[in-house]
Amino acid sequence: MMTYIVFILSVIFVVSFVGFSSKPSPIYGGLVLIVSGGVGCGIIMNFGGSFLGLMVFLIYLGGMLVVFGYTTAMATEQYPEVWVSNTTVMGVFLLGLLMEVMLVLYVLKSEEVGVVFKFSGVGDWAIYDIGDSGVFSEEIMGVAALYSYGAWVVIVTGWSLFVGVLVILEVTRGD
Amino acid sequence: MNPLIFTTILMTVLLGTMIVMMSSHWLMIWIGFEMNLLAIIPILMKKYNPRTMEASTKYFLTQATASMLLMMAIIINLMHSGQWTITKVFNPTASIIMTSALAMKLGLTPFHFWVPEVTQGISLTSGLILLTWQKLAPMSILYQISPSINLNILLTMAVLSILVGGWGGLNQTQLRKIMAYSSIAHMGWMTAVLVYNPTLTMLNMLIYIMMTLTMFMLFIHSSSTTTLSLSHTWNKTPLTTTLILITLLSMGGLPPLSGFMPKWMIIQELTKNNSIILPTLMAIMALLNLYFYMRLTYSTSLTMFPSTNNMKMKWQFETKRITLLPPLIVMSSLLLPLTPMLSILD
Repeated sequence: MMTYIVFILSVIFVVSFVGFSSKPSPIYGGLVLIVSGGVGCGIIMNFGGSFLGLMVFLIYLGGMLVVFGYTTAMATEQYPEVWVSNTTVMGVFLLGLLMEVMLVLYVLKSEEVGVVFKFSGVGDWAIYDIGDSGVFSEEIMGVAALYSYGAWVVIVTGWSLFVGVLVILEVTRGD
Repeated sequence: MNPLIFTTILMTVLLGTMIVMMSSHWLMIWIGFEMNLLAIIPILMKKYNPRTMEASTKYFLTQATASMLLMMAIIINLMHSGQWTITKVFNPTASIIMTSALAMKLGLTPFHFWVPEVTQGISLTSGLILLTWQKLAPMSILYQISPSINLNILLTMAVLSILVGGWGGLNQTQLRKIMAYSSIAHMGWMTAVLVYNPTLTMLNMLIYIMMTLTMFMLFIHSSSTTTLSLSHTWNKTPLTTTLILITLLSMGGLPPLSGFMPKWMIIQELTKNNSIILPTLMAIMALLNLYFYMRLTYSTSLTMFPSTNNMKMKWQFETKRITLLPPLIVMSSLLLPLTPMLSILD
């Protein structure tokens, strides 16, 4: 099972993406977003990017998604839409699920069954090596460099986030 | 809007464009575009009614899509060249995607559909910022990647823009839509000469910004957004009527006004590069532009538009003071003899 862990995680990843792309109510979308975020972290960690995966867990899931969850809980409606409540939503979800099942079958059984359409291999999508020297991790050095050589980036992104908050408040304030 | 917040947001729009123009790292350029887009949304929505909200939503959606395409082109460029500096784009796919993204930001055909709708839905001052300042950032990036732009795509988009800008403006009576179609056509002229001589693109941008600023300020001065209300300016401020005439003819590209300078230089540069049919077509299609400017001058300055009798005796309320209007008017009409000075733009 462990040799196929990335494959299984990627299947769960795609299914949760289909789950929120079929547009149920935001609360349920946030739920599968958490699942897909966690599973995505698992995929990255399996390829050796432990720092990046932990960052996504901490900042994305633990920071942004929590805020999203709270604001959605404030603005939710009385009968939120689930995947089975609306024909359209269920239809899109089942369609996405069907496509994923077809893809899984293609990957698993491409020797036994004659396949018409072949992918041309990994090619340019191969993962580049993280370039670990083995002594220190490059990613942590990157964070340190962000605050020394990359001070301008910190200033610009910090200002953008601040102005983002101002803009959102201004837009939702109305008259 | 709270004046402090309004100033902050306006300064952020300026900062965004400055970051785009002075960065050498592709990621910073993208951040600059996003900062610009984010900060201009509340400016577009200054008056709070459904039309402005719809216009700013449309603007946000199209510009965000263009930023995403730009990011994809940046990443493809990174994959094939391994570095983040702007010199030229090393991969033809990335170059095509980047040109399309910047064309979406500028409002070139076939991505021009948002320009009239967004310009119509917002106030005159916001429309002014939209049509002049927001064109600076994408044009500066096009200038920097101009050696590696695919000529066929850019010229096709440019010529189609001139056609659409001229043809689409023919049936309009709303002034903001007329200015939007005029912007589409001028962007077409600017990008047509980009690959041949980018200095002329900058010259055209300069003269276009001056003329558009002048036109918008004249509209703000007489508070008119339709042809009908513009035709009453002879009663409010007769001097403005004459100035509208001169500025509109300059926008149409008539000598001896300064609007002729960029068109003349562009046609000369194109013919130097052995393309004769193209500038002929462009000049003929610019006539469509001239036609609807002339129609505006006809109803405004040259004839008295039919109106009820009490419109002919308007009470003069306090007129708005528009700063910088006289110098702008002078610059947008009398700059033609200074053409030899355009070598300073290099």
